[in-house]
Amino acid sequence: MNRRWFRLTAIVAEREIRQRGRSRAFAISTIVLLLVVAAGVTIPAILAHNAKPQRVGIVGGPAASMTEIMQEAGRLTGTGVTVVAEPSVAAGEAALRSGQLDVLLVDDTEVVVKQVAIAGSNGSGGTLASAIADVAGLSKLLGELPPGAAASGVTLPVRGLTPPSASLSRRLTGLFTVVLVWVLISAYGSQIAMGVGEEKSNRIVEVILASIRPVQLLVGKVSGIGVLALAQAALMVATFLGLGAAVGSSLVHGAAPGIVITGAVFLVLGYAFYCTAFAAAGSLVSRQSDVGTVILPVQIPLILAYTLSYTVIYASGASTFYRVLGFLPPTAPVAMPVLYAAGDVPAWQAAISAAGVAVGTVWMARTAATIYGRSILRTGSRVRLRQVLGRAPT
Amino acid sequence: MTVTSAAARPGTAPRRASLELIGLSRRFGSVVALDGLTFSVPPGQVFGFLGPNGAGKTTAMRAIFGVVALDAGEVRWQGEPVTEQARRGFGYMPEERGLYPGMQILDQLEYLGRLHDMTASSARGAAQSWITRLGLAGRESAKLEALSHGNQQRVQLAAALMHDPELLVLDEPFAGLDPGGVDDMTEILAERARAGVTVLFSSHQLDLVEHICEAVAIIHRGQVVAQGAVSALERGDRLRLAVRVAGDPDGDWARQLDPQVASVEQVKSGTVLLVLAPGADSQRVLDAARAAGAVEHFSFATRRLSEVFRDVVGEDAPS
Repeated sequence: MNRRWFRLTAIVAEREIRQRGRSRAFAISTIVLLLVVAAGVTIPAILAHNAKPQRVGIVGGPAASMTEIMQEAGRLTGTGVTVVAEPSVAAGEAALRSGQLDVLLVDDTEVVVKQVAIAGSNGSGGTLASAIADVAGLSKLLGELPPGAAASGVTLPVRGLTPPSASLSRRLTGLFTVVLVWVLISAYGSQIAMGVGEEKSNRIVEVILASIRPVQLLVGKVSGIGVLALAQAALMVATFLGLGAAVGSSLVHGAAPGIVITGAVFLVLGYAFYCTAFAAAGSLVSRQSDVGTVILPVQIPLILAYTLSYTVIYASGASTFYRVLGFLPPTAPVAMPVLYAAGDVPAWQAAISAAGVAVGTVWMARTAATIYGRSILRTGSRVRLRQVLGRAPT
Repeated sequence: MTVTSAAARPGTAPRRASLELIGLSRRFGSVVALDGLTFSVPPGQVFGFLGPNGAGKTTAMRAIFGVVALDAGEVRWQGEPVTEQARRGFGYMPEERGLYPGMQILDQLEYLGRLHDMTASSARGAAQSWITRLGLAGRESAKLEALSHGNQQRVQLAAALMHDPELLVLDEPFAGLDPGGVDDMTEILAERARAGVTVLFSSHQLDLVEHICEAVAIIHRGQVVAQGAVSALERGDRLRLAVRVAGDPDGDWARQLDPQVASVEQVKSGTVLLVLAPGADSQRVLDAARAAGAVEHFSFATRRLSEVFRDVVGEDAPS
């Protein structure tokens, strides 16, 4: 591979970008996807502004000053607060479990919620419970000065009744990431397969392969289409973050940098893993209308991981099966961002999975290039995999 | 049966070959497409590549461009094995026409030119001038699929000519062209050959080949069965005479001829076709004919290329 190799490959990529980038289909799909993202960000935010007031229970302490603390915390977080006095901690916790209460403040010692979110950098930041913890802690500090001073900090501990889990907004950001990865890989993957099928069925490959090698056509095609896919993804993420920040969406508050980075890494890896596989599948057919049949097997791992990702988003704790999917190269690009966003795996495990996908991508690219090179010029009936993966081409 | 004309015999070899196909073999499963195919094409000639359907013409042409892998054999260009670099200096028009249907023709030609090492601007210039030359001016931004079949074929030819190739390989370039298209194609091929380009093309239209080509190779079942200059193939390896004597519809007079002079090949409506023995004097045949009666016709006979073709290809020849 020398400079000429890359120059000719770049010419192929450039054609893909120009031809597809200025097509009506690309413009329309970009607009539709951006509208979906915009709606997904703004509608929940608008609904959140009309949220019903939160019910806060208090146990012990002077009711007047504790009510004052609640109202101050409510004002800080923009939430309406209804204060309910509970006779005991046990009664308060029962009310929390049954959903009659959202937060319980016990004396000046702790704040209890049903479940603590693990998202965010400073506790459950931005929520009513944390604001109560801050304000009540400050109030306690002021009452105790000078004796205790700031010995143990000013924030009261926040305790959850059930094990901690990622906040829903964090999970929803994870869902957004997964939908993005899934939509882009599927959409652009089938475009690659269709494009390869087109070139094969109208025989332009013969003209092109008279001057460049199959692998150059393959690499040029997938990288050209990949640039478009990434540009579209970047636009969507920018819209998500920009609009989200503008309307104060809780989805964006959940968008810890880790989730965005994980999503981006797996989007690139997932595309790289699948693009060559889609191209190889497209090279097997002689008629473009057969492309749908050959890409289905390629899509199955993606479909599986994507469908099951909803069970992780809306449940606490992923199943062992889904965790395994998170480490298998074909399913990891969809499964791992979900697992990470849901807080089911730490960052280092996501990194291991990413490395696995990268290795898998190299293997896939080699295999796909072999299949592509051996089948792109074979006309007639559909080429069977076993015909092209044997030791020597027949 | 193998016919080799005098021009192809060793010792009388003319100009050095520019393209050589040496012992090309290729099987597809149980089908033998090429079976030790060997022939060479002199530079600056329009060379016809003939054979019945399935003879291996397309496979051989694809082999020149490396788009089909060979089991054995070698393609040489100017004495050297063909490299990828050399191939980018070749022009190819495949049998199954291939261009992007939804792409504008100017962009399309520019793209293909750039894949042959042209710069973007020179590729655009060449595309524009071929579009004009082929009568498509004003349709630069038309998509290929919007053009008629004949015009699509013109674009395909332009694609092969874009980078001013030294070797032009065209698989059935005349198929589907109207008479005007045939004339344009003929003129361009002849002009390229005059400019020193080696032109190899396949065709089933033997009358056209006879008219355009200086030399041909006829292949059958993956092997060359006849090759050489068209005139030499038409003359055959020995001289033939056509003689008609009045009042002798069965050509009985010729049966008396000394086999050392000439022998009867066939008699058709009174005209006897004779094959002259090597070194024999044609005037001795004339004397014998005059002795038998009034000579109505006496000439050297040539065969049409189509007859040569049927002769060497046998029952597989198209009727």
